[in-house]
Amino acid sequence: MHVIPQLLASTILLGGVYALIAVGLTLIFGVMRVVNFAHGEFLMLGMYLAFWAFTLLGLDPYVTLVLGLPLIFGGGWLSYRLVMRPVIHASHNVQVFTTVGLSIALQALALVLWSADSQFVRTSYYAVVVRFGGMALNLAQIAAFVVAVLFTAALFAFMRWSYTGKVMRATAQDRHAASLMGIDTGRVFALTWAVGITCVGAAGVLLAPIYPVYPSVGLQFVLIAYVAVVLGGLGDMVGALIASLVVAFVEVVGSYVIGTAWKEVLYLLLFIAILVIRPAGLFGQRGAEVIGT
Amino acid sequence: MRHVKWAVVVGLAALAVGAVGALQAQQLSGEYKIGVLEPLTGNLAAEGKRHLEGYEIVRDLINERGGVMGKKLVFAVGDAVDPTVAASEATRLATREGVKIITGTFSSTLCGAASEAASRQNVIYWETSCVDPRFSKRGLKNVFRTEIDGTGFGWYNVEFIAKHLAHRLGKKTSELRIAYLSEDSSYGQSVTESARQRAKQEFGMQEVAAEYYTFTTNDLTPVILKLRNANPDILHHIARNQDAILFWRQAREQNFEVKAVVHAGATGYGSPDFGKAFGNDGNGPFALLEPGPGVIIDKFRPEGQKIERAFRDAVKARTGLDSPAGGHQLAGGGLWLLKLVLDAAKSDDLDKFRAAVMAMDLPVGSAINGWGVKFDEAGQNSNARVQHYMLQWQGGQLVTVWPEEFTTNRAKWIPLGAWDQRK
Repeated sequence: MHVIPQLLASTILLGGVYALIAVGLTLIFGVMRVVNFAHGEFLMLGMYLAFWAFTLLGLDPYVTLVLGLPLIFGGGWLSYRLVMRPVIHASHNVQVFTTVGLSIALQALALVLWSADSQFVRTSYYAVVVRFGGMALNLAQIAAFVVAVLFTAALFAFMRWSYTGKVMRATAQDRHAASLMGIDTGRVFALTWAVGITCVGAAGVLLAPIYPVYPSVGLQFVLIAYVAVVLGGLGDMVGALIASLVVAFVEVVGSYVIGTAWKEVLYLLLFIAILVIRPAGLFGQRGAEVIGT
Repeated sequence: MRHVKWAVVVGLAALAVGAVGALQAQQLSGEYKIGVLEPLTGNLAAEGKRHLEGYEIVRDLINERGGVMGKKLVFAVGDAVDPTVAASEATRLATREGVKIITGTFSSTLCGAASEAASRQNVIYWETSCVDPRFSKRGLKNVFRTEIDGTGFGWYNVEFIAKHLAHRLGKKTSELRIAYLSEDSSYGQSVTESARQRAKQEFGMQEVAAEYYTFTTNDLTPVILKLRNANPDILHHIARNQDAILFWRQAREQNFEVKAVVHAGATGYGSPDFGKAFGNDGNGPFALLEPGPGVIIDKFRPEGQKIERAFRDAVKARTGLDSPAGGHQLAGGGLWLLKLVLDAAKSDDLDKFRAAVMAMDLPVGSAINGWGVKFDEAGQNSNARVQHYMLQWQGGQLVTVWPEEFTTNRAKWIPLGAWDQRK
């Protein structure tokens, strides 16, 4: 019984990590209907940004997070202009190949520029642990979870109540009708992509003090983020957050009760079961994958 | 008269230089190309690149020492990112590059596929690092391995636990409580299962937990909670990559204390990444490896001392490291043995090459890493000839601590004690 508080704490912290990555992914899918297979590589770039800012300039990752947001947003915007814009109206197959190609190119670029060696952001507080009620919580992971909740809430509010958010939702519902209503859908897509990349880039900066940084690090996280996005309902931010926590719960508790070797089996079984019962995911809208195409 | 003397000296020097040049030109008549297959991209790239670096360092040493079969050794390099690509790259090296020998691939997930493909092309496959025991049990006549296999790693680890740790902990071997934790590839499984078997059957150690996980896992806290409940004296942890770093960080967060942590291989706790991640906070765990700082090279045979010193100087010149990393040693040590075999065989014809491999009989201390050579019919170098050493993280670096007769260092922190007391 004494392990239950720690298992719950681990669930929340790990779920926070997954949610940070999933929220940008689900935004991009929800509005643009593009499955971004390069999402993990943008996470990796965010981690390298934190590493180089820490190594070369001595900047704390949380300072980098604030100062780096415009830079990440700009990078996201640029990647849209250079790579995604030409294929935004193309078939899904073309978009899949484009983002897979972007993923490979970014990974190879990181390998050439920074080598395959793991890098570490060892801040003065990297080993600081908060202990209470039989739980031990890593400080950097608490910060990541808090930011994940804030990002999700901010994006939810932005999409629901801001004018731009409404424009983005209108585009998500029917891009052709939105276009006829005078909405510049090209700008909406560019903004959506850039905001989605900013989310995952920020996630990378936040994860840098927790995990080693290397060119293929994104692959370690992004598969689970895909599961969380589909489980939560494609395009649903709050759904992605809750689904991330569900996946983390199954992973943590399953590892403890049944065995670590079984954890992937467990969350993928849950994933399949939910899709059989609710094909649109826990909170998704039926047919979300085809709306607006 | 003085001018005449100088003229004679200069003339003799010129003759000497010319003679050496002519000798080298005679020795290195043409090139001999082999295939080198390593994961240079993807999850395993860091260690793959370190192995390639080791090959390149020893290739240059070989070429400074007459090349192979009188020819300059050159590489055709392939990137084996996963087993499928490893097989296709092995085929490419054989068919397009025309190599007769392929060496690589370090990882147990890659060597099986790569060597099968090499076998189909009737090409010699010279493995220098992968430890999957199945590698040499397929009846393939073209396949050879210079490093010991996973069962050998498990054997050495239990030897260290039984012969060294037990008495340092003041316990009989049958009183030792041991927990096994391992990543779930053939590397982790072979080392762990071999250690489990020997610990139980030969020494009667008490197994209190055995747990496998995927090395790309993001959280090991649940495992640590289980291990804490099991209360082991010794944790036998075979880690493959960043999982050692994740485990150590989370074990510290959970204040999980165990009396000793023992690993085997150049990955996980055996990788320089572990020290980079923790510095002094990583002090304590043991890793079974090739000889590291503190090893007494004078204990090697004269020819082994000579090449080991040249190797260490070359690694330092290229990388700045005072002591070679495990990847450098496995790749470099294996390539040096390939040179010895090729020079003896004077041919890359499989039958002649195999005959030379089987005939080679060098005692421990004869080659790089203090290795010796005696291959069995399956193409596996002997456990007893490939002497291994236990290294421990001390002061942010791995140092050799066992067998004690081969090293100036001694194992510390037995038992490990509190996390903040390992400085």
